[in-house]
Amino acid sequence: MSTDKPSTKSEHSSHGDHDHHEVEGPGYPTPAAMRTEGRREKTAYVMAPRVGMANDGPDFVGVVDLDPESDTYSDIVDTIEMPNKGDELHHFGWNACSSSCHAEGLSRQYLVVPGQRSSRIHIIDAEDPRDPEMVKVIEPEEVFEYDLSAPHTVHCVPGGKIVVSMLGDAEGKLPGGFLQLDQEDFSIEGRWETDRGEMEMNYDYWYQPRHDVLISSEWAAPNTYYPGFDLDDVEAGKYGNSIHVWSWEDREHIQTLEFGEQGQIPLEVRMSHNPEETQGYVGAALSSNIIRFYERDDGTWDWDVVIDEDPREHEDWDMPVPPLITDILLSLDDQYLFFSNWLHGDVRMYDVSDSANPRLVDQIWAGGLFSDRQEVQGTEIRGAPQMLQLSRDGRRLYWTTSLFSSWDNQFFPDIAEEGSLMLKADVYPEEGRMELDEEFLVDFGDAPGGPARAHEIRWPGGDCTSDVWQ
Amino acid sequence: MVDDDEETHAVELCWSGGRVETIRVGRGETVVDAAETAEVAVPYGCLYGVCGTCIAELLDGEMTHRRSPRALKDRTREAGYVLLCIATPETDCRLRVGHDIQAEVVGTPWK
Repeated sequence: MSTDKPSTKSEHSSHGDHDHHEVEGPGYPTPAAMRTEGRREKTAYVMAPRVGMANDGPDFVGVVDLDPESDTYSDIVDTIEMPNKGDELHHFGWNACSSSCHAEGLSRQYLVVPGQRSSRIHIIDAEDPRDPEMVKVIEPEEVFEYDLSAPHTVHCVPGGKIVVSMLGDAEGKLPGGFLQLDQEDFSIEGRWETDRGEMEMNYDYWYQPRHDVLISSEWAAPNTYYPGFDLDDVEAGKYGNSIHVWSWEDREHIQTLEFGEQGQIPLEVRMSHNPEETQGYVGAALSSNIIRFYERDDGTWDWDVVIDEDPREHEDWDMPVPPLITDILLSLDDQYLFFSNWLHGDVRMYDVSDSANPRLVDQIWAGGLFSDRQEVQGTEIRGAPQMLQLSRDGRRLYWTTSLFSSWDNQFFPDIAEEGSLMLKADVYPEEGRMELDEEFLVDFGDAPGGPARAHEIRWPGGDCTSDVWQ
Repeated sequence: MVDDDEETHAVELCWSGGRVETIRVGRGETVVDAAETAEVAVPYGCLYGVCGTCIAELLDGEMTHRRSPRALKDRTREAGYVLLCIATPETDCRLRVGHDIQAEVVGTPWK
């Protein structure tokens, strides 16, 4: 059935027939409920920055039609333009997710959309999934008052709060921290953490309330990574190589897992969706390996490198080029781990049913430095697989090709002229394989108002990187 | 904007494609603010000298930064690059501008 304008109910479905729940909150009681009852995604929200482009303009949130029955399938059907230039929309999140499943009256309605460069935070009402509206803007000056800048990961947390990882202080230096917003009026409540211990750098975070833990990762100080990627800064120790373990309840830093050379620039953190599990993975971009972290019997945390990739020689480059793992993702059933090698140009699928021993099952090459496939539908693949999002049922993997404006301009400068792409693969979990869907292409080079980059992807109703279970 | 030569400086913006625009920038005003007022698009991001999106090469004239240009390494500053979001002209100036200068200055690792 074609649904150009799906009703609120069809995409923001909360947990259908769960009679064991006495209240109807947002989200799903279990990861399996989300996977099996979440229905197919019909709309995607895509961060579309224009910072640092040849013809720059305000960034926007792109609304992409993912309903294959629709006449506008794979088109950008709406854009929510930011009121200012220069934000660099990057990652974003919801006001509520499955972690608030028991909170009556709360709904997954508002997108919290930070500007990575501007430190401005936008609140967008997506009650009608196909007609979202900007309802509030938190200006940078309000954020700087808490001596924080560079907002990144947004998670809603139980107890009526939203917590945003912040990468710098008010001057764009270290240390970063966490900013807490009120879940209803989106006012700033202050800092989340009570004691950050030796943590200085911040980036992504995940949490498991059942096990009283939050894990955060490290990029660098904003004034280090904003201007571009300089290997001198790596040698000078200005990039991260550790993750941090926090007490969720006490909001205190309790342990640092230092990876050293084996885990340079650990970015995306994904813990198992199963709330009983006490383990997860982090992708170390520069050293290009996947590190598994886990709780030991004594309550401390430990880590092992479970996937280790090698740099590769390229005839046009002076030195071997690392794959650069820039995003990782776990399927809702925690059976498959996907990650992108943004410089090499492939996306990989691993069976992680034996969580400490991942097994490579498939790989798609599309763009980047080493792929034989450099076009889809006759369109040049500008960039390479980067931000990933998987359908709730685990059968469709989507990705965009831009990393970060200044880094794009160093490695894939065509994006600054012509914009980046969103691509899709069909995934066959029962067969452990995936295939590029060459019928699907969203070219952000043709975006209304001019070319744009394309970054994080989410859909109404929650996805594999938005929801946490208590 | 005050249209008085005593109070403003002429700033010539030169893009790599050959395009040139001249704007007048008031005393203490940043080039980005003046360009916005004149509706001449120049790249920018953070607006407080941290991110480097607005980096430009000062070809002629003198400029000062109104606050610490944290996005610039010493070598870059010494080579004559400025951050237009916090830079104000002290004399008439000529600048090379554009989105591509940032990557040119940092270079591409491994290449």
